[in-house]
Amino acid sequence: MTKKYNPNHLSELMPDFSAATVKIPDILENQYKGNLKKELKAGTISKTVAVEMLEDMLTIREFEEMIIKLRSGAYEACADYNYRGPTHVSIGQEATAVGGCTGIDSEDLITSTHRGHGDSIAKGCAAIRGMSVEKLKSRIPESKETSKKKLIEEALEDHVYKTIAELFGKEDGYCKGRGGGMHIADFTAGHLGANAIVGGGVPIATGSAIAQRYLQSGKVVCCFAGDGAYANGVVLESLNMAAMGQFSNHLAQTKFGLPIIYVIVNNHYGMTGRADEEVTGITCMARRAAGFADNNMHAETVNGMDVMAVKDAIGRAADICRAGDGPCLVELDTYRYYGHSLSDPRNEYRTRVEEDAWKKFDPIDLYIEQLIEAGVMTEKKIENLRQKVVERNARAAAKAAGSADPDPADVIKYMYTDTSVEEVPEEFANSKTILEEPKIRRVKGELNYKDALKEAMLEEMKRDSRVILYGEDVADYGGAFKVSKGLLETFGRDRIFNSPISEAAICGAGVGAAMSGLRPIVELMYMDFALQASDQISNQAAKWHYMSGAKAEVPVIYRASVGGGKGYGGQHSQTLEAMFAHMPGLYVMYPCTPYDAKGMLKSAIRDNNPIMFIESQLLYGAKGVVPEEEYLIEIGTADVKKTGKDITFVAWGPAVLDCLKAADMLAEEGISAEVVDLRYIVPMDMDTVIESVKKTGKCVVASQAISIGSFTGEVASKIMNEAFDYLDAPVVRVGAKNGIAPQSYILEEAFMPNANDMLAAAKSIL
Amino acid sequence: MAQIVLMPKLGQTVEESTIVKWHKAVGDSVKKGDVLFEIETDKAVLECESFYDGTLLKILVAEEETVPVQSVVAYIGEPGEKIPDAPAAPAAKPEPKKKAAAAPAPVEQKKSAPAVEVAKPAPVAAPAVSSVPSRSDSATAKKPGRLFISPRAKALVKNKVVKAENISGSGPNGRIVEKDVLAYLEQTGYNDLRIAPAAKRLAADKDIDILDVTGTGDNGRIMVRDVETTIAEQPQTMSKMRQIIASRLAQSFGHIPHFYVTTSIDMTDLLEYRKELKAKDMNLSVTTFILEAVVMSLEESPIVNSSTDGVSVRWHSNVDLGVAVSLENGLVVPVVKKAQTLTIEELQTQMKDLSEKARTGRLMPDQMSGSTFTVSNMGMFDVENFSAIINPGEGGILAVSSTLQQPVVKDGEIKIRSMMKITLSADHRTVDGAKGAEFVKAIKSKLEDVELWKSLI
Repeated sequence: MTKKYNPNHLSELMPDFSAATVKIPDILENQYKGNLKKELKAGTISKTVAVEMLEDMLTIREFEEMIIKLRSGAYEACADYNYRGPTHVSIGQEATAVGGCTGIDSEDLITSTHRGHGDSIAKGCAAIRGMSVEKLKSRIPESKETSKKKLIEEALEDHVYKTIAELFGKEDGYCKGRGGGMHIADFTAGHLGANAIVGGGVPIATGSAIAQRYLQSGKVVCCFAGDGAYANGVVLESLNMAAMGQFSNHLAQTKFGLPIIYVIVNNHYGMTGRADEEVTGITCMARRAAGFADNNMHAETVNGMDVMAVKDAIGRAADICRAGDGPCLVELDTYRYYGHSLSDPRNEYRTRVEEDAWKKFDPIDLYIEQLIEAGVMTEKKIENLRQKVVERNARAAAKAAGSADPDPADVIKYMYTDTSVEEVPEEFANSKTILEEPKIRRVKGELNYKDALKEAMLEEMKRDSRVILYGEDVADYGGAFKVSKGLLETFGRDRIFNSPISEAAICGAGVGAAMSGLRPIVELMYMDFALQASDQISNQAAKWHYMSGAKAEVPVIYRASVGGGKGYGGQHSQTLEAMFAHMPGLYVMYPCTPYDAKGMLKSAIRDNNPIMFIESQLLYGAKGVVPEEEYLIEIGTADVKKTGKDITFVAWGPAVLDCLKAADMLAEEGISAEVVDLRYIVPMDMDTVIESVKKTGKCVVASQAISIGSFTGEVASKIMNEAFDYLDAPVVRVGAKNGIAPQSYILEEAFMPNANDMLAAAKSIL
Repeated sequence: MAQIVLMPKLGQTVEESTIVKWHKAVGDSVKKGDVLFEIETDKAVLECESFYDGTLLKILVAEEETVPVQSVVAYIGEPGEKIPDAPAAPAAKPEPKKKAAAAPAPVEQKKSAPAVEVAKPAPVAAPAVSSVPSRSDSATAKKPGRLFISPRAKALVKNKVVKAENISGSGPNGRIVEKDVLAYLEQTGYNDLRIAPAAKRLAADKDIDILDVTGTGDNGRIMVRDVETTIAEQPQTMSKMRQIIASRLAQSFGHIPHFYVTTSIDMTDLLEYRKELKAKDMNLSVTTFILEAVVMSLEESPIVNSSTDGVSVRWHSNVDLGVAVSLENGLVVPVVKKAQTLTIEELQTQMKDLSEKARTGRLMPDQMSGSTFTVSNMGMFDVENFSAIINPGEGGILAVSSTLQQPVVKDGEIKIRSMMKITLSADHRTVDGAKGAEFVKAIKSKLEDVELWKSLI
């Protein structure tokens, strides 16, 4: 009988002040002694693959030289095409892309950067060559070819075409022209997206690795990012999160280190900032790893101009990951021949002498020498291959330039997905519980708001094993407000785990996990902390469905609670729904009753859009009837909490309860007020609001957010637009004072809106 | 450059005109000489022609809109041509000397050139227009202050087809809000009204306050016919011409002390003589004889052909004879200038021409101003006698009644004679009773003296 898994762990950390020396393992640089000839001899590479690697490097260089030529009209295949868009070329770095993408398996995954044409082309080529005939046919359904070799050739040309078309912003592009070269993604080839926020893709890769670990997919994530990114907080947070002990030590339910290779593509320049002597204090970027894992994440530095060395290093790292000993970190020492973009002449920060020295190690030239030396290719064959690549790119470019632009009428198409999980796939359905289910105490059919949320998560995690919950202190402690108390015991640490206090990485990892098949619920404790993760929530979670041309769905939920009213002061009390409502691509919702809390969270968990789910700490203890039987609340429906005919309150969150109180006070004066709980800020149910305003002619819009920039303004403006002729008075807005939440109880009382404010607002227009 | 079309200035005293009809729409091609639009001045409707070939690019003054003369009313040019964003400021008060140069002469003036010289401003009897109170006072009803009403109350008022002006507002700034409307409806008994839907629609359409309508249907139900009655009873702005007539007559009757002298004229012989002439294909109307007699008598009694402002008296060397012509909707007085210089045939011809123009509304302003004496002939209406009101600026007006067969004592016997009464209304400030009597007697003696006419014709 095997020992029963116990998810709980009580620390017994004893003080130890004995003298010791912390040994940091050596970080090795440029240890690769091999070359193509040796690899062939060792059987680690075939001649075919060797030739393909050259082909891919040539394709990348030809592609990027095209961008340079396009700017001057010198690219003959489409000399008239007016390319407008970024020009972040990676010429000089081809070995990092091709060595990286051939070092991992064709089904493995990558994330990339704004300088990511090379990664995208290399990953696509590697993936295509590894595809089955069926998969190839589904990629290029119009092809009549039957032989795998010819299908691959066509798929490769199609790949170049779709890449150029995306660069050109065309409907045929990988992301239907919504992403462009800086956000290119091809999920069918394992490319989870280039990212135009420096470092922005690193937590996404980390999240994807969390998904691969949880799903035990056997896949490895290769995360390309530059030296500049490794000074970014979210990247360092991600390294820490990836190396968390609980993935592989005694706490782990499944002991398996994150299968991720952090690849530092060190081209020595951020935009122009010098990594080596200016904006960092280290000379070896691989040292970054030492801060996060006692094993240095197996870090090493490799000659990034030598494609064989890169392939070798990445291949070894992938093996480590597959063995469950990840994460790994590999620094590739390489060089960017051109400036940050074509508008950067480079001469302001580096010398020609430096550039010429690096060009002597040109990755393509070096590799051609090896191919000839190993007898794989003759100069003539190489010339023929070069010619083939040039012609293929030219055909693809000409076709892309002439292809259809997206329809302007579709400019906001793909902002949201309309899909949700109606049927859970069999492999994920009815996940078994591990211990006893947490007891959720119902009194006369009533639950408090907190337990209603817990019951929602419990039910949905039982229904669908892809749903996981992580965040600060959500595991043993059950969350700062005990919303998840007992769920660790129910589902184990594979599905419920504490995260480091790294909001950006937490939220970004949620994006990557959601892109990779999980349905993460990410707890942010206080909504104020969402600001630390605003890039990951607003630029990544919110935008990827659109930027990928609807190729990616990001079913992640950010549970954020509002602390206002508890005397916690300016950094723990904000109601920030308006900020996230302003980020297209996100759903934003805020329940105010236990019934809504459960029904809305359950619907949210099943929905495939990224969601900011706002909770109120003031309401966690509020009781209300919550049915035991299954129910959902349709997303985007407001709820009339009280019907009336003389005046309408539109509110959300705790402000709804204040409005209900105000309505009771008005009722004593014979005035009948209707209270509409918007519930969903995005998507908003304006119909219900308008219907009510048409009836009453007077409206107070209320939220606990401060008035300036509050979403109440948006609602009021819509009412004015859509129901102007029905208004008997101006729409009045109520919010907190236009200031910072104070700690003082007396001051906070003055700061927060209350029922009397709602009443006064109503009376001002009655 | 697109060509500018201005509101023509017709006559010295016209300050503003109303476009009553556009003959061309924006986008229509226009040839030089095509009628562009019709305008209504104080007294007439006139057609205005284009001076340019091209396309009508933009209309700035819509039908029924009144603007100062020389305002830009339209642009003509090539399709797609740019036109100024803002219309040139209407030359509302241009320097007098600039007027002639700036104002394109209306085509009608050319047409009528032979008969009417571009008249010098009438010396004394400045045509009534100048002394008419400024139209901006009378025609433009003073707008009430901005009415504050909530959109909801406004919609309710519209739905109920009542006027918001009568409702007092209880909201901020006196804003009328829904409850004020509801209280008003309650208080006015609106809620008890029974209104046929079609009647309500009609009232809404014609901007009638339903509360102004008295229902005559079953149980006082408001029917379409009731709304129609109310519509008919609504005060309606009189035509410009009617307003001018009203103003001038009131001014005249209020300021000029009228006195009246009536006499009967035996027209039997003249009518007989007229028949003879007719048989000789010489068709002179009775009116022509009367007018000629008036002209001759005025020459004999120049005091009647004079005018006064109460301080000075002005003698007129010419007889510019006004003849009242009744129209369907009013009255105009075309003027036969220098009537004393015309033969009786010329007088008839001119009179006929002017009457025709008057009836078709084509008189030029100068053709209906500057008269020194007026004849108002109601002979065709079977009237025994009437008295007329003097046109301001004149010394008198002669009212001519119908010629009726009457028993008359002549040569000691009762005979049936064709008798016609004339009544002089004279300005007593300049014309004494005896002078007035002399004048009517002069007319009478001329019309009864067939030999006189034989000598003239």
